[in-house]
Amino acid sequence: MDDSARRLLQRLIRRIPAQMLKTTLEKWGRLTAAQKQSMDFTEPKWAFTERLLDICEENGWTGKHITELEMTYVIDNPNQGMWYAFQLMDPEDDARSVELTHFKEQFKSHLSELARPVSVKIKKHADDAIWIRIAWGDSFSRPNHLKPTYVVHHLQTPYVFVTSLTSKQKPFLSQALVLSTRHQAIKDASLSGRKLGAIRDLLMRQYQQVFPTSYPSPLAERNETVSNPQIEKEQAKSAENRLQMACEAFGDGMLPQLQSSVYKLETKFKDHTNKTMTEREEPFRCVVKFASTNLLESLRHCAASGIASTPVTPLLSSIPLKGRNYFVIKDNGPGPSSQTRQTQN
Amino acid sequence: MSSLKPFSKLPALNTANILLVESEEQLQQSLAAALVEEASVTVNVRLAKSLPLPVENEESRPRIDLVVFIINLTSELSFQSAEASLKYLDPGYFLGKVCFMVTNARSASVPTERLDGVRKLAASLHCPLLFAEDQTSDGVTNATERLLTMLKVAAGLVPMATALYLSHLTRCTVPPDIDQPSFD
Repeated sequence: MDDSARRLLQRLIRRIPAQMLKTTLEKWGRLTAAQKQSMDFTEPKWAFTERLLDICEENGWTGKHITELEMTYVIDNPNQGMWYAFQLMDPEDDARSVELTHFKEQFKSHLSELARPVSVKIKKHADDAIWIRIAWGDSFSRPNHLKPTYVVHHLQTPYVFVTSLTSKQKPFLSQALVLSTRHQAIKDASLSGRKLGAIRDLLMRQYQQVFPTSYPSPLAERNETVSNPQIEKEQAKSAENRLQMACEAFGDGMLPQLQSSVYKLETKFKDHTNKTMTEREEPFRCVVKFASTNLLESLRHCAASGIASTPVTPLLSSIPLKGRNYFVIKDNGPGPSSQTRQTQN
Repeated sequence: MSSLKPFSKLPALNTANILLVESEEQLQQSLAAALVEEASVTVNVRLAKSLPLPVENEESRPRIDLVVFIINLTSELSFQSAEASLKYLDPGYFLGKVCFMVTNARSASVPTERLDGVRKLAASLHCPLLFAEDQTSDGVTNATERLLTMLKVAAGLVPMATALYLSHLTRCTVPPDIDQPSFD
């Protein structure tokens, strides 16, 4: 095993938390039963790494096997770092019939042509997700395995999720994806988050949605809750209306966990009491960021409890509706690829 | 303008009715659950976010003996909502049938002006001001006991005591130097 593979393994073991080491190595499946027995998972990590390095030497493994282990770990624990969503546009006629082996060949060959040298590993996960690990190199150096890019794509959907991609690498990846999935363009979906599952569920609408109905609760008798008859809510009806509208805007039950939503305002300053600012010609640039451990849950609660007025403003309801959490808001008039709206005082 | 009137309905036997008005709708739930456990008197609790109360409930609503405004000091909205609701109460209520309850008074993020504002409001209306601790069950129990004492008097269930008489003893007063800067 050469130095870079050794360093990669050391880095990887340091990164994996102690309690996950055993399960990750099991999932990797390359250790024999005897070797597994000989590993002591309670010893300190540096000792553990030495033992593992010895086993790797025994079995004659290379960097390729280590990257496999890393990929196993990342697939099981994807919620590290920021994931960005991209959307493929304008499918060709045969985009719907792209299947796995074809995609793999095409992607590998296109990417190697565009950005050689590059090391690509593609793996299909149980839930039909294709995981791609890319280690980029340039004309002076071999692929750098310490800073790989991970890409997740579900075939036949237009969505691609990417983490750890620099702006220099972006055009190569975009081109390779567009060509191998038989689409004509790819664009930034303006959605980012720490949890891969959450942004995927948001875009593919895998949460419980509530549709507007005239008669929300089925039968009043059936809905008798065990609440005390001596306690009565005076404004129960308006509370129920608010809750219904909040659920219609955001959904019911568990919502995908988004961490933030950013609004970039490029609108003119409007405040009657402040003449100097209002008279300026240029737009007043301002960025508003909402952050929370579970943003959609917080917004739904704001609407249901009356803090945010109902019906829910499109600025907030566009987050689940359009599946994005970055908005650019301009005064009247369409912008190129940005969300445009009338200004609100 | 529909306002809540104190004596326009007949009372029921051994019953006391209390209205808890709170903009956040949090503490009122736990208080309600504790209040209805009172054994000696039947306590009916009505919960509202703000006044005015919906007209549809006018018929079924019993005579309200005590109106409690619960203000969360960490929220300006809470104070403003309570102030705005005051106009929908008939003046007859302010003779001992209104009480202010304040939570989070110990919180460091509360500006002193807000508590002073609540104090001045309660004092100008001759109403008592109670401080409640809503995070623990003990705090809720204590607040319930104090409310029950006032409620029983306001409902006329305590002989020789009326709401007006009790309010003379319990009403909030502001210290004369309330507008002087404090020593923080």
